[in-house]
Amino acid sequence: MRLLRRAKNEPDKQGGSLSSLALLWLIASFALLLTPQLDRLPVWLILVCVALAGWRWLAQQGRVRLPGRWLRTGIMLALVAVYLVQVQGSFTVDTAASFFVLAVGLKWLETRTARDFYVLFYILVYLATVNFLFHQEIHWALINIGAIALLLIGLQVLNAPELPGGMKAGWRRLGIMLLKVLPVVVLLFVFFPRMAPLWSVPLVSGQARTGISDTMRPGDISSLAQSSERAFRVTFGGSMPEYRDRYWRGLILDTLDDGTWRQSGYDRYQAPGRVNVDGGAGELKPREYDVLMEPTDQRWAFSLEGSVAVSNNVVKQPDELFRFRRPADSSVRYRLARERANEPGAALLLPVDARRYLQLPSEGNPRARALAGELRRASDEISAADSSAGDIEVVRKLLTRFREQPYFYTLRPPKMPDDGIDSLLFDEKRGFCAHYAGATTFVLRSAGIPARVVVGYQGGESGAGNEYLIVRQYDAHAWVEAWIEGRGWIRIDPTAAIAPDRIESGLREAVAEEGSFLENNWTSPQRYGDVAIIQWASLHLDRINYQWQRWVVGYQGQSQMDLMSRLPGGFGMRELGYLTAGIVGAGLLIAGLISALQIRRGERRDGYQRVLGAWHKLCGRAGVPVRHGETPTALASRLAVAEPAVADSARLFARMVNSHYYRPPSARDDAGDLTRLRRLLATMKRQLRRTGKKRFGIFRSEPHSGKHSD
Amino acid sequence: MSKQIRSRWPTWVRNWINRRIPRSDVQLLTQRNLFILPTAAGVVFGMLLLIMLITAINYQNSLIYLLTFLLGAVLVGAMHQTHRNLSDLELTLVQAGEGFAGDDILFRLRATAGRDDAIALTFSDGDFSVRVNHVPAGQSTDIALPVPSAFRGYLRPDRIRIETRFPFGLLKAWSWMRPVSAGLVFPRPIAAPEVISAVDDGDQTASSRSPEGNDHAELRPWREGDMSQRVMWKRYARSGQMVVADWEADKGSPHWLDFDAFPGTDHELRLSYLSWLVLERGENNARFGLNLPGQIIVPESGPAHTSRCLKALATWGEKKPRETVAQPHGTRRYSPSDKPSDATPGAPV
Repeated sequence: MRLLRRAKNEPDKQGGSLSSLALLWLIASFALLLTPQLDRLPVWLILVCVALAGWRWLAQQGRVRLPGRWLRTGIMLALVAVYLVQVQGSFTVDTAASFFVLAVGLKWLETRTARDFYVLFYILVYLATVNFLFHQEIHWALINIGAIALLLIGLQVLNAPELPGGMKAGWRRLGIMLLKVLPVVVLLFVFFPRMAPLWSVPLVSGQARTGISDTMRPGDISSLAQSSERAFRVTFGGSMPEYRDRYWRGLILDTLDDGTWRQSGYDRYQAPGRVNVDGGAGELKPREYDVLMEPTDQRWAFSLEGSVAVSNNVVKQPDELFRFRRPADSSVRYRLARERANEPGAALLLPVDARRYLQLPSEGNPRARALAGELRRASDEISAADSSAGDIEVVRKLLTRFREQPYFYTLRPPKMPDDGIDSLLFDEKRGFCAHYAGATTFVLRSAGIPARVVVGYQGGESGAGNEYLIVRQYDAHAWVEAWIEGRGWIRIDPTAAIAPDRIESGLREAVAEEGSFLENNWTSPQRYGDVAIIQWASLHLDRINYQWQRWVVGYQGQSQMDLMSRLPGGFGMRELGYLTAGIVGAGLLIAGLISALQIRRGERRDGYQRVLGAWHKLCGRAGVPVRHGETPTALASRLAVAEPAVADSARLFARMVNSHYYRPPSARDDAGDLTRLRRLLATMKRQLRRTGKKRFGIFRSEPHSGKHSD
Repeated sequence: MSKQIRSRWPTWVRNWINRRIPRSDVQLLTQRNLFILPTAAGVVFGMLLLIMLITAINYQNSLIYLLTFLLGAVLVGAMHQTHRNLSDLELTLVQAGEGFAGDDILFRLRATAGRDDAIALTFSDGDFSVRVNHVPAGQSTDIALPVPSAFRGYLRPDRIRIETRFPFGLLKAWSWMRPVSAGLVFPRPIAAPEVISAVDDGDQTASSRSPEGNDHAELRPWREGDMSQRVMWKRYARSGQMVVADWEADKGSPHWLDFDAFPGTDHELRLSYLSWLVLERGENNARFGLNLPGQIIVPESGPAHTSRCLKALATWGEKKPRETVAQPHGTRRYSPSDKPSDATPGAPV
C-alpha cells in the first residue's frame, strides 16, 4: 500500500517505471486519435506507429527491452529520413499532421518517466485538436473527446497507481466532473466572442479532394460518379425545386485545347486567409437557400441558376457564378436567393467574350465540324432572316440527333484517344455527360454559336424528413450553355436528350440497366439504396450530422452575432468579451462558494465540537485560555478557580463531555446530551454575566461579550 | 529538511506560513491552511490551452473552441477535486518516535479523511516521503514517516508536508503539519573505553571477548533473551547446562554508570559511552543505576528501566521544545526576537 523512498535519490515523482494501466490507456487513446487520420496518413506511417506502440507495450510486459540511446537515435533518424523522402519538400498541413503523428510514435520508445507521460499527454491533446481541423462530423468529435477522456483516465491512474474503486470509480469521477463543468462549457461556447483570425493561416491540404476540378477531360466526371461522398447540403426557405431544375452551377470551362476543357481568366491572386464559414444567419426567407458545402480547397461555390448572394462570404462573378474570397478549406455555409425570373436577355455579349466562347483548336475532329456546317446550313434555310432563330434551330437539330440516334449514356465509356469528339458522335456513340457536353459545345462553336461547358452538380436526394437536400459527388454533371441573341445564355443539356432518367431522377436510375452505379464503392451506403434499413440509417445519421454542422460546427462569428441580436440588450463583440469574463468569473465564484459551503457543512457535522468550541471561547473570555492538550476536567478546574461562580456547572460540563467521548457509541444519547450541554453552557454564560456585572473588571475589555457569546 | 526550506524561502514567507499553521499535534486541513498551485505539468497544460485557443481562433474551428473550453473547465474542476482531496483531512501525530542518533526516527501519523476520500497523498519531511494511496471518507490510516536524526536530544520535524496531485497531476494541493510533540533521540552508543582497551575491534566487544579469561565473570543459568555468544558452549558440551557469563562482576562499581567516570572526554561522548553501557546492561538484564549531573536514576533492571535511562541520556541538558499552545490563528504576532526557532529546541514562548 505504501511506498517508502528517499526523496533525494529519486526526484521523479513516480519512481522509475510507469504504471502499465496508465500506459495502456495512453496507447488506447493514441489508437483512437489515429482513426480520424487513417485516410490521410501514409500506410507505412500507420504501421510504424503500431509497431512502436506495440514495442513499448511488450517492453512494459517485460518481454523485450526498450532500445538504448543509440538504437533509439538510429530508429529516429531512419524514420525521419523515410518521412523526408516521402514528403519531398512539400509542406502542407497534411505533411505537418503526419509529422506530428510520427513524433508521437517515436515518443513511445522514450516513455520511461511520468514526465514523458505528460509530454505524450500534451501531444495527444494537440493531435485531437489537429483532428478537428480535418474532421468535424459528430462521430469524429465523439471519438476525439472519447480519446481525451481516455487520456484523463490515464492521468488519474498515473497519479494514483492503485486507483481506489478501480476504473469504474475513475470513470465516474471524470463523468461527474464533466457533468459539473458542462454548463460553463456551453455558456463559454455560446458567448465567447468569435473574433477574426489573429493572423492568416492557410489550411491548404496537399491531398487532392474528391470533387469537380477546373479542367475537364472526358472521363473525369465518370470517375467522380463512383464516389458517394457528400458535396454539399441545401436547405430551402420555400419548397425544393423539381429534380430536373436542380442544376448547381459551379464553374465554366471555355477553352478547349488538346482534348481538354479548361477555364480561362481566373488566375487572380489568392491571399491566404480564411473564409467566413458561417455566412447567412437567421430565418430563411421563402426564396432563399442555405448551402453547407464540404471543403473543396477551391474558391467556387455552387448555385442554382439565377441566384443572388445573400450572405457576404460569396461574391457574384460576371458570368453568374459565385466565388468565395479564399479557397474553402473547411466546410462553409453560404446563403443565396433565387431571383424570380431569369432574364439576362438584355445583356450583350461583348466581342471579346464572343471570341472567348467561340475559341476552337485550329484542327481536329473534322467530322464534327462538318456536322456543324451541315446543321448551320439546314437551319439557315429554315430561318434565314433571324439569326437567333437559326441558332435555336441548330441547337434543336443537334438535340434531336442525340435523342433519335442510338446514343447511350454510360459509366463505362470506351477509350477515344484521337479525335475523341468525332468518334463519340459518329462511331462509338457511348459516353458520359462530360463527353456529350464537350461534343455539343464543340459542334455549337463550330456552327458559330458562342457556347461553354458548365460543370457542377445536377440533382440531389432528399435528406431525412425531406428537410434538406444532399448532393453527392456522383451527382456531378456537365452541361452546355449557348448564347442566343436576344435570349442570353440558355442551358442545353445533351444528357437530358440521351438519358432523361439522369435528369429526372438521378444517376442511379440512369445507369440501372448497366448496373454500374457505384460499382467500385462497396462501402457506400448509397450503393444499397434498395435496402430500406441502410438507407434509413444513413439518412438519419446524415441529418444528425447536418444539424451538428449547422449549429455547432458552424457556430461562428455571424451565427453568434445573429443569436446575440435576438437576445435583449444588443450584444456586440465587446459586450461578449465582458460577458465571457463574467461567465468565467461567476463560474469560479459559484464553484468556490459551493465548495466553501460544503466545507462549512462538514464543520457543522459534529455538534459536540461546536459546543466545545463555544465553551473554549467562553473560558478564554473569562481569562482562562485553553491550553494545548488540556482535558476538559483540567480546564474546568482552572475555570472554577478563576470564576468560583461557575465552578459547579463547569465541572458538570466537563464530566458530560468526557462521558460523551469515552462512553461506547451504543450507550450514547447524542441529541439529548447535546441539548443538555448547550443548556449548561447558557447557564454558565448567565452566571458569568452576573458576576461580570458584580465585579466590573473582567468584562471591561469586552462589554458586549454577553450578547455575542453565541 | 528544515535547512532546505530555509534556503529556498525568505524569512517572511516562513514566518507567514508558521503563523498560518501553528504547531499542533492535531491538524485539520481547511481552506485556511491548504495551499494549491499548478504543477509544472499544469503550467504547460495551461500554455497548451492557450495555443489551442489561438488555433481555434485562427482556423475558426468551433470544435477546437469546444475542446479548449472543456479542458479548461476540467482544469478548474480538477482544482476543486485536488483541494477537496485534502480538505477536511485530519492529521494526528499519534506517536513521535525514539531512536539513536543517526538513525531514522519513525513518526507515526494518523490521517483521518473527512467527507471525501483522500486519494494519493504524499507525506514528506524533506528526506523521506511516504505515499498513501487511499483514505476512504470517514476512515483513517496510520503512516510511519521516518525522520532522519543527527544529534541526540529532542527531534521535532519543522514541517511535515502533505501533498496530493490527484486526479490529473496538473495541480498540487499541500499543507504542512507542524507537530508539537518531539521525538527522542538517544545518544549514539559508542563502546566505552575500558572495554575497548581490552579488545581490538569495538564492534565485537560483546561477542568475542572470552569470559573464561575473566575471573570476575559471574556464571548464571541461561535465560530467554540472552545472546547466544554469551553462552559458555564449552561448559554446555561438558555438562549439558546452558550457562551464561555475566559481566556485572567485572567493574569496580558494577551497579552505577557514572557520567564522571570518563574524565577528559567531551560531554556528548560521555553520553554516548553511557548509552552503550546502558544498552549492554539492558541486554544482559543487569541491575544498574545511572548517575548524571543533576539526575540520578537508582539501580534497577528491566526494559522499562533501560528506556528510562536512555531517555535521561537523550534529554540531559536539553530543554523540551515547546511552542505556544493552541492559539487561534492571527491573535499573536511574533517579534523576530521571540519567534519560536525551529531547529534549536527550547525557547518556549
